[in-house]
Amino acid sequence: MAELTAAGGRTRPAGKLELYAWLFMRVSGVVLLFLALGHLAIMHLLEGVDKINFAFVAGRWSNPLWRFYDWFLLALALVHGFNGVRVMVDDYVRRPGLRVFSLVMLWVLTLVFLVAGTLVIVLFQVPVGG
Amino acid sequence: MALVYHQHEVVIVGAGGAGLMAALALRGRDVAVLSKLHPVRSHTGAAQGGIGAALGNMEEDHWEWHMFDTVKGSDYLADQDAVEILAREAVETVMDLEHWGLPFSRTPEGKIAQRKFGGHTKEYGKEAVRRSCYAADRTGHMILQTCYQQGIRHQVKYYNEYMVVELLVESGRTAGVVAVSIADGQLHVFHAKAVLFATGGFGRMYEVTSNAHALTGDGVAVAWQAGVPIEDMEFFQFHPTGIYRLGILITEGARGEGGKLLNGKGERFMERYAPSMLDLAPRDIISRCIYRELREGRGIHGQGYVHLDLTHLGAKVIHEKLPDITDFVRTYLGIDPVKEPIPVQPTAHYAMGGIPTDMWGRVVVDEKNKILPGFYAAGECACVSVHGANRLGTNSLVDILVFGRRAGRDIARYVGENEYPPLAPHAGEATGERLARLREGRNGSGGRAESVADLRETLQREMMEKASVFRTSGLLAQMSEKLFELRQRFQNVVIQDRSTVFNTDLMEALELGFLLDVAEATVAAALARSESRGAHFREDFPQRDDQNWLKHSLAYRGADGKIEFKYKPVTITRFEPKERKY
Amino acid sequence: MHIRLRVKRFEAGKDREPYWSEYGLEVEATDRVLDALHRVKWHQDGTLTFRRSCAHGVCGSDAMLINGRNRLACKVLIRDVGDHIAVEPLRGYPVIRDLVVDQSAFFRKYESVQPYLVADGEPPARERRQSPAERERFDDTTKCILCMACTTSCPVFWPNPEYVGPAAIVNAHRFLFDSRDTEKEGRLARLNAGDGVWRCRTIFNCVEACPREINITRAIGEVKKALLLQKG
Repeated sequence: MAELTAAGGRTRPAGKLELYAWLFMRVSGVVLLFLALGHLAIMHLLEGVDKINFAFVAGRWSNPLWRFYDWFLLALALVHGFNGVRVMVDDYVRRPGLRVFSLVMLWVLTLVFLVAGTLVIVLFQVPVGG
Repeated sequence: MALVYHQHEVVIVGAGGAGLMAALALRGRDVAVLSKLHPVRSHTGAAQGGIGAALGNMEEDHWEWHMFDTVKGSDYLADQDAVEILAREAVETVMDLEHWGLPFSRTPEGKIAQRKFGGHTKEYGKEAVRRSCYAADRTGHMILQTCYQQGIRHQVKYYNEYMVVELLVESGRTAGVVAVSIADGQLHVFHAKAVLFATGGFGRMYEVTSNAHALTGDGVAVAWQAGVPIEDMEFFQFHPTGIYRLGILITEGARGEGGKLLNGKGERFMERYAPSMLDLAPRDIISRCIYRELREGRGIHGQGYVHLDLTHLGAKVIHEKLPDITDFVRTYLGIDPVKEPIPVQPTAHYAMGGIPTDMWGRVVVDEKNKILPGFYAAGECACVSVHGANRLGTNSLVDILVFGRRAGRDIARYVGENEYPPLAPHAGEATGERLARLREGRNGSGGRAESVADLRETLQREMMEKASVFRTSGLLAQMSEKLFELRQRFQNVVIQDRSTVFNTDLMEALELGFLLDVAEATVAAALARSESRGAHFREDFPQRDDQNWLKHSLAYRGADGKIEFKYKPVTITRFEPKERKY
Repeated sequence: MHIRLRVKRFEAGKDREPYWSEYGLEVEATDRVLDALHRVKWHQDGTLTFRRSCAHGVCGSDAMLINGRNRLACKVLIRDVGDHIAVEPLRGYPVIRDLVVDQSAFFRKYESVQPYLVADGEPPARERRQSPAERERFDDTTKCILCMACTTSCPVFWPNPEYVGPAAIVNAHRFLFDSRDTEKEGRLARLNAGDGVWRCRTIFNCVEACPREINITRAIGEVKKALLLQKG
């Protein structure tokens, strides 16, 4: 499965990965648009950036729906971004050594941010007293 | 440089419609197809209007009517037994193309659509009939692609960008060819049992032509140099509607859809010359009419062109049926044919003459049809003769496919029955020497160095003036002298490119030699034929003379370069020659 | 009018690096760039090497970079590009000489998509029926003349020569959407591979480059959709 072609590319067998990845980018792109616009609206238009502090965030995250919203925005953006960079590496990084290195770094960074972000949102405790 | 040797049972030279059909008829056998281009660049791809076959999809039609139209269109010079085959086999050929996937335009019921075309009639000349099967206005492109695709399917072996420069004949049998591979300048000898030439025409003899730059008569000239006579060279068709000055073809299909030709006075002048067929009269007649109008000062603004008017057809028809020519006219003239008429003039288009063959594509070398074993020819470079003195539109596509396939079938039989002929011990070496001298600039005889381009431009200009639509003995004699002079100067031609890698300078020098050959044969044949017939019009002999001239000319080149003529009878079966009026 | 024509020169086996040659010449504004190249070759520098044949945009021989864009030299008029013209060979394929590149890998890609009609069963005595609407469905992609302008303009192709490329996909499309073809699955399988359609990033360079004005990216999109609907 990891055989390299003469030009250093990987020839993947005919499969569903690329098809679903392509579809995912388009669907997640549209969803992200709404999530991001929503986030923007809340932070800038309804509240105003100068009002954002710890208490504000804690207040929002006392509602599990907002926690989910923020987590979903984070996860989707990370995976969408991951796939975009994966595709670029696939197109433009030909040298086998550099290729492996780039993809490993990409996986590591994505997982680190995903895990860290998830932990932050899930483990956050609203301080007693609001 | 040492020669590279190959052995294949069959060598086909030329990968247009005729060559590819022959290769397909020979599938599974040891065949090599040589082209000096890549197959998909062949000139078959430039054909626009359609392929004529009596399918009868839109209205009643019969192959007998098609045969009659072709014979009459040929000014009764075509060999009628061959024309019968053309008309009969056209139908199954079109069906085969469709089965192979050719995307014909369709009628509402889903059948192959057909349209009117010049010279094609119903009921033996009563009125125009819809016989031309078309794929928008790029029928030739689709035919070439479909045949090439079938070649891929059947794994035809190609040698691309190999230019054939010599035909090998040994003890009266064809033994192969000598070719130069353009990419590296290497000379190759192909030892074969049978050779088919399908190398196309030679419109590049003339200054204004619809033909690609590659059409320099290579196969015809090489055959002639090998001692094969060439037939009916005096008949060269000028297509009436080429873009003014550029020569780019505007298909007859435009007139088939209803387009009209107008002179400087806005008159539809064909009403005076061909009251029944009007703008769908055969091409040789319309070209002469246009020239007459121009000579009598009725060109547009007194200039050397007339108008092809499509403005009354409406945008829908033009964009659906004639998209490609709309593109040409927009690109090269900045004109929208929906709104403005197109400036057109006659353009050198098609060679009716060529290498003489029988109905199986076998090359014959005398007036008694003696065959040269193993040598075949098909397509525009051959003369069967199905087009006689003038070709009808849509018939060339039928010709190349029908006779390309027939040649392929007979070759299959021939190679099955024969062994390889012997190959001369030093085959190709003299040619290799000659090419090396030319490339290294050692070929001159000490005279002033000549440039290929200057000689060619002179040839083309002079042929356009002196040996095109209207000919006289005075002009032809002058042209003959000019050719002699050009031939002398050609001995001192010096090319600039010394490389062996993709040397197109050398190619053009060789092609110029071939053009001189075919031009010499054309002019000599035109001088010899003292009558007017079809595309050959002599102002000093303006009538057709069946008594003396109902025969095919065969031009032989003597060792001293002198050209002599023999004559071959015309085969007449169903249709007695009559006066040709439309 | 007077123009300055610069051409990138190179001879495989002889030159280590390409270099530019510059020519000054007189042309008409309505001449083709091909006419200018011819004029240089025929009257100034016979070593200038390029492919050409029909000279009116149907054979596809003379695709090249003209002022940085992939065009057919015989379809570009001098007045379209002005009096300073730079001409180079197509990108992505080895240069044999000057403007002539090695076409063989391109045609292998074309062959890999099975570019011929496959129709099961015995053909009928007459033509297979196809309605005008069915015929229209794949009309655009029948126009391809295999000139290589699209594939060699694709930024995905440049670093990935194995990418099947826009031209091959266009020619596969022509059969995929031809109602008479019965080999849809096999064709789609080839295009579903890692170096198939999914490498298309909808950059649209191909659409810009195509001299036949085929809407290539749309055709590629239709193939993607066909794959989606097949699997999903």
